[in-house]
Amino acid sequence: MSEIIGKQIVILGPEIAVLRARKVPEISLSEDGKVVDVKGDPDEVLNRLIDTYVELSGEIVTNALGTIFTKYPSIKRAA
Amino acid sequence: MLSGEIIFIIVLILSLYGVVVAISFFAVRRMKQNLKKKEIDARHRMYELAILKEISDRTGYSLNIQKILDVIAGSLNQFLEYSVAGYMLIGADKIIFKADLERSVSPQFIKDVRMRMLKSLEAILGVSVPDAQVEETITGAVMLETVLEPVRSYFNIPLVVSGKLAGLLTIAHTKEGLYKEEEIAILYKIVNQASRAVSKLEDVVRTEQSKVAAMLEGMVEGVVMTDRDYRVVAANPSAKEVIGYTQEGMPTFFDFTTGLKDTFDIKTKLEEATKLDKVLASDDIVIKGKHYEVLVSPVKANTGPAKGQILGGAVVFHDITHEKEAEKMRNDFTSMMVHELRSPLGNIKKIGEMLKSKEIVENKELSAEYVGMLYESSSTMLDLVNDLLDVSKLEAGKFDVDKQQVSIKELIVDRVKFFDTSAQGAKIELSSYFGERVPERVLIDAKRIVQVVNNLLSNAINFTPQGGKVMVACFMHKKGFNIDEEAHQQNIQWFDVDERKISSAISDCLVVAVTDSGEGIEHENIGKLFNKFTQFSSSIREREHKGTGLGLVVAKGIIEAHGGTIGLGSKEGAGSTFYFTINL
Repeated sequence: MSEIIGKQIVILGPEIAVLRARKVPEISLSEDGKVVDVKGDPDEVLNRLIDTYVELSGEIVTNALGTIFTKYPSIKRAA
Repeated sequence: MLSGEIIFIIVLILSLYGVVVAISFFAVRRMKQNLKKKEIDARHRMYELAILKEISDRTGYSLNIQKILDVIAGSLNQFLEYSVAGYMLIGADKIIFKADLERSVSPQFIKDVRMRMLKSLEAILGVSVPDAQVEETITGAVMLETVLEPVRSYFNIPLVVSGKLAGLLTIAHTKEGLYKEEEIAILYKIVNQASRAVSKLEDVVRTEQSKVAAMLEGMVEGVVMTDRDYRVVAANPSAKEVIGYTQEGMPTFFDFTTGLKDTFDIKTKLEEATKLDKVLASDDIVIKGKHYEVLVSPVKANTGPAKGQILGGAVVFHDITHEKEAEKMRNDFTSMMVHELRSPLGNIKKIGEMLKSKEIVENKELSAEYVGMLYESSSTMLDLVNDLLDVSKLEAGKFDVDKQQVSIKELIVDRVKFFDTSAQGAKIELSSYFGERVPERVLIDAKRIVQVVNNLLSNAINFTPQGGKVMVACFMHKKGFNIDEEAHQQNIQWFDVDERKISSAISDCLVVAVTDSGEGIEHENIGKLFNKFTQFSSSIREREHKGTGLGLVVAKGIIEAHGGTIGLGSKEGAGSTFYFTINL
């Protein structure tokens, strides 16, 4: 999850990337956007995190997540 | 007791008053907060509407994304505090980077923003974007080396058009933690709305382009259309064939520049046509062995607010290879005719010079021989000129025949007799055959039919080796029957002439055929026989009997002028049958 947030920091900028990640209540973040704790099912939380970025800027931001999708095949991919 | 109760009541009243005051204070404060929030929301909404209206007014939601981004970047100061607002746009061969400085920042600040934007583009595209491709424009406040503030706040908004990344909008500031999510979200909303509008327009344009592509699909001419940035927007199959493009999909402009390398500078021509605002034609451009006439034209809008503006260019490749071949054939034919005329003319001149000599004039035997040669050369020339005149009349549709009732048997017998001497000289057996029911008289132009029979007989004798046979046959054809079968039934010398089995459709007529046992004609050359421009190397005896080939062209014209048909059948190494029909 830190990897996803890291990618979105590069794409969208650190402020908005971290602000959006904080919208997922199951994720606890450090000041610099690193995930320190995850509550609940990690796959579900991961999907929720991706959804929050897609909600803001569309499917295009998932382009950078190819390696993560490969690593975690259970994550929903944009249709 | 009474005073105690009074004190209690006073305390109670004061407490109640305090509670009421406190509640009122908090209610007012909450109301104020709500009002303030509503005011901010209204301001944001107003900004959102104002900027969308401005985009619509200034660009009409055109396909020019840069214009839209200019409007957004130019109005941001009404809504956000920033040091630099900039954008990057992905072009065909470069990336446009424009930054507007609201306040002075250092060159390093700009460099940092540019680098962050490139990294963002790279992350989304998944490919490396070289910094060298970036074309930078800085506007607004001046850059100062002395301002040492780094980038402390920034965010990017990806610009997506029709599902593809078109660019990036960036806001950056020297202050830290400046941007709130609501402000960023509004800006996202505006950019997304503009992107959607452009995407919709692009969809419309794509639909129109597919209509244009469908129309171009069936065109024989190769057609390529480009936009102002030299991106190929349409290219039909013929255009792909011109450059040898065999892959699926649309070729790029690069494919065209590569495919036309060293033969046609397509980009320079398009630039020139656009600059001069006129159609440029280039004659005889040879591309991959084919000849083309290439037209390059600017494409302008003819309606709407952009009326008259250049939208791109169109290139049309017209294949003139066949015209060039025909031109070559015409030139070859003219050269051949000149050569054929020059040869007897040269002889006449030489003989004339010799006849000037008193010695030769006084020698009756020698002068008679020279006069004979003079006659022969001038006859050859006259025949050739007559053939040319006949062909010219045929082409002009002025070839008339003077039909009279003539005995066809007599005509053929007379011609066989005429050629018998030369046939005997060549040790060739010449004969004639007349089938049953051949009428005594037929309606023909005797002079012209004699010309045809002469031509067929002279060719047959010329191309038949010693010991060979030549036969002139004359028989009746009946509608519904095949000419070849009719000939075979009569056991005459014959090579099948009706390969397509269509002769049964020919009405009752007289068939005249000349069959030889010569070397025959190659199948591929048969079609060339009746074409005035096409000569072929057919025989080892070609030098011996080289002619202009006009005789058969004239014969075809004569027979067609009689309403008949002419044709042939041949077997290589065995012989040929030339036939014509005369309507009854």
